[in-house]
Amino acid sequence: MKKSSIIGLIIIAVSIGVIISVYADSSTYGDFDDAKASETECYVSGNLDLQKSMVYNPQVDANYFSFYMKDKGGKVCKVVFFGTKPQDFEKSENIVLTGKMVGDEFHASKMLMKCPSKYNKDQVEVKSTSAT
Amino acid sequence: MDTVFIGEQLLPGKLGQFFVVLSFGTALLATLAYYFDSIRDQTDGSWRKIARFAFALNFLAVIGIGSSLFYIIYNHLFEYHYAWAHSSRSLPVYYIISSFWEGQEGSFWLWTFWQSILGLVLLFRAKSWESPVMTVVMLSQVFLASMLLGVEILGIRVGSSPFILLREAMDAPVFSRPDYLSLIADGNGLNPLLQNYWMVIHPPTLFMGFAAMIIPFAFAIAGLWQKRYEDWIKVALPWSLFAVMVLGAGIIMGSFWAYEALNFGGFWAWDPVENASLIPWLTLIAAVHVMLAYKNSGQAYFTSVFLALISFVLVLYASFLTRSGILGEASVHSFTDLGMFWQLYLYIAAFKLIAIGLIWARWKSLPFSKKEEETYSREFWLFIGAIILVLACLQILATTSIPVFNRIFGTEIAPPTEVVAHYNKWQINFAIITAIISGFTQYLKYKKSDPKQFYRQVLRALLISVIATALTGYICGIYTNVGYMLLTFAALFSVIANMHILYEAIKGKWKLAGSALAHVGFGLLLIGAMVAAATNKVISINTSGIGFGDAFAKDNNPRENIILYENEPVIMDQYTVTYLGDSTSGPNTYYRVNYKVIDQKTGQITEEFDLYPNAQQNAKMRQIIASPDTRHYLWKDIYTHVSSVPLKEEEEHEPHEGHTDEEDYGKPVVYQVKPGDSIRVRDAIIRVKSVNRQAKIQNIPLSKGDVSVALSLEVFAGQKTYQVEPAFLIKGNNSYDFGKTIDELGMKLRFTNILPKEDKLELSIYQKPKAEKNWIVMKAIMFPYINLFWAGAIIMTIGFLLSIFRRNKELKIT
Repeated sequence: MKKSSIIGLIIIAVSIGVIISVYADSSTYGDFDDAKASETECYVSGNLDLQKSMVYNPQVDANYFSFYMKDKGGKVCKVVFFGTKPQDFEKSENIVLTGKMVGDEFHASKMLMKCPSKYNKDQVEVKSTSAT
Repeated sequence: MDTVFIGEQLLPGKLGQFFVVLSFGTALLATLAYYFDSIRDQTDGSWRKIARFAFALNFLAVIGIGSSLFYIIYNHLFEYHYAWAHSSRSLPVYYIISSFWEGQEGSFWLWTFWQSILGLVLLFRAKSWESPVMTVVMLSQVFLASMLLGVEILGIRVGSSPFILLREAMDAPVFSRPDYLSLIADGNGLNPLLQNYWMVIHPPTLFMGFAAMIIPFAFAIAGLWQKRYEDWIKVALPWSLFAVMVLGAGIIMGSFWAYEALNFGGFWAWDPVENASLIPWLTLIAAVHVMLAYKNSGQAYFTSVFLALISFVLVLYASFLTRSGILGEASVHSFTDLGMFWQLYLYIAAFKLIAIGLIWARWKSLPFSKKEEETYSREFWLFIGAIILVLACLQILATTSIPVFNRIFGTEIAPPTEVVAHYNKWQINFAIITAIISGFTQYLKYKKSDPKQFYRQVLRALLISVIATALTGYICGIYTNVGYMLLTFAALFSVIANMHILYEAIKGKWKLAGSALAHVGFGLLLIGAMVAAATNKVISINTSGIGFGDAFAKDNNPRENIILYENEPVIMDQYTVTYLGDSTSGPNTYYRVNYKVIDQKTGQITEEFDLYPNAQQNAKMRQIIASPDTRHYLWKDIYTHVSSVPLKEEEEHEPHEGHTDEEDYGKPVVYQVKPGDSIRVRDAIIRVKSVNRQAKIQNIPLSKGDVSVALSLEVFAGQKTYQVEPAFLIKGNNSYDFGKTIDELGMKLRFTNILPKEDKLELSIYQKPKAEKNWIVMKAIMFPYINLFWAGAIIMTIGFLLSIFRRNKELKIT
């Protein structure tokens, strides 16, 4: 066999490997029910449920933060994040969690928050004035 | 519509917008004129004259845009949206420069600016290549200028102008007032994370690299177009090395910024935005290698053309990924979408089609080599090395493009949850192979080498590397991991083989120094990155805290954050760490964290330093933006950042009516004391000095028979000593006591009774509960050998620079 054919074959083999690995390692976006069913790490996105309590007491445990999130389907579930509470957390509009269900709690290993950005805020802060 | 607004300065914006339109028009004219000159429409060079004139005007227009925009930001003209959105009055001048390119428009300008500068250099240096090369460069300039246009053409908005007025960009009732401008106090300011000196210089370097990438592309196109198939490679080589050097430096600066200013605790996170700039860099490095192979042996022609072309297309793809909003949830630091998805897409499509079309048209006449490369030849392994780099890129590209696949196929695939592990498991293998090839290829000659001599030299380098690997593995403590050891071996082999070449270079063959140095740098960079990433250790492991069941502890319970109360030392690794209070400077609060190494046996402090991780507290937004502080040693870094702090406004609540201040304190602890006693409380020692029998109490006159006694106390806390005298008074039949508080310690001391029988005095000690004490939650990471990474990067850059000189010199000789 010619050298160039061997090289070609190796390139094809590695490319296939790469594609399979993207597929194999990739995850899914889902809701809490999917997470419960799959029992593996996945992404769940949703909104913070401000009605329910948010717990972060660094004095007790600096690595325990829990809150309730409502997923896209409207299901509310308790989420535990073993880290510190991001300080602008209440303001986040949309949260993407990475993690898995453990019992009835979702244990998040990563959190990504989408906050209202400067562009979308569309609010001009105005000096206080008496005239209107 | 006819409202006359007060105080607006419309001239700079109008001028700026005029320059934007001028830059678009002149770029278009220059492209066309250069095109007609290239196809020799007129032979008297009149087209070239027009083209050069248009280019000069374009250059001035680009400078004009930049100057107008800078004037607007520098003078805080908040009637302009860009100034309002990206700057504020409190920003120091050097950050005003960073706010210039915080937005997409400013960074597009930076790109056109560098492209203009490089165009100017080409104008003088490219000689016979000027017209075809500049046709391509100016076409790219047309696309970039269109991104800044911000005008509507046939109902479609083209580009986004940085000169849009705030009242045009937004809809708010305040803009109906003629004096609205006097009500806008300040701009939104620059994102605190970008308020870092690296952000002043990283974007210009990165965009200079992006802009430089078009030159190899333009030469490759010109070569195909003008049927000068072989000449272009030699001319494009120094330019390609230049692009590789600058882009590489830009990427490393970004990585240093991430390490210094962001708190994800590392220098590389495989974020799509990082990957997007890494991919074209790697493909252009591959291109440089095959271009050398072709130049010296006539092999790998098509690969050279293909890689030079694809690198710039990938630059455009990178800007598409970061600017079109397609990454959406996949990346934290891409730009916000400005609705230019299709415009960006068109930019890629145009350049891709030009490249494909020309290759198609010229396919039959391309100088393919008929014979196969020898196995024992340098060109063969240069080619293999390039292929490995391309495969590495393919892997990064495939995973980074998941959001793009989703968009095309309508799927909803999510990126891997363990992103870093996913990339590392592939890239470590590519790195190992690349490093090994970059080592032994140095011993091969072009065309044909003597295998015997080759093996003798390689064997020697191999032997030294095996020993060096064993040593490194032992010192860095990575010998348990096969992959790490293999990478260490491969990188060391590359370093040693290239050091050998460098040694030869110093003995006289100076021209070899550049490549050898670049490869040595690359090897060191690999070792540094791998060791720092593999052995970095979170030293702030929390040992307290409540349990959550063993199931979780096994899985992933890092407990990487630890709470520190003011003045309470905590042992972390070899350090005794104490939080010593905060100080505020400008918008930043600095938390003073003291590190001590105390010798176990002698109890002496052998080393002591303070770190000041800071957080920008924004009371309005109720958030903090934390930046780390790092102690740099030669062989390791101690990296510290605060992850949670009490918000300032919460700390200071006013004392209010109907509320005794005792409520703030916990239950008192009552001691019976006499002078000379010492009491140890939570974080202080109280010594009873004496009893003052002539104590005077303000505003209370003493009459006969009244007893007034005070306790003279000394309170030692940390380095400070406090003197207090709580008093006790018997007046008539009533007794009163006058307590003293020490606010810094959150402590109140009351002299509550005299016990004559026991000959003792009663002292009640109140302390505020711990929550009221100052605290920070922080994380500390030790990064060993990270300086190898930075040193490697610097050495590699110097190597590239030397290679540019060498290849440029070769150009003049021939």
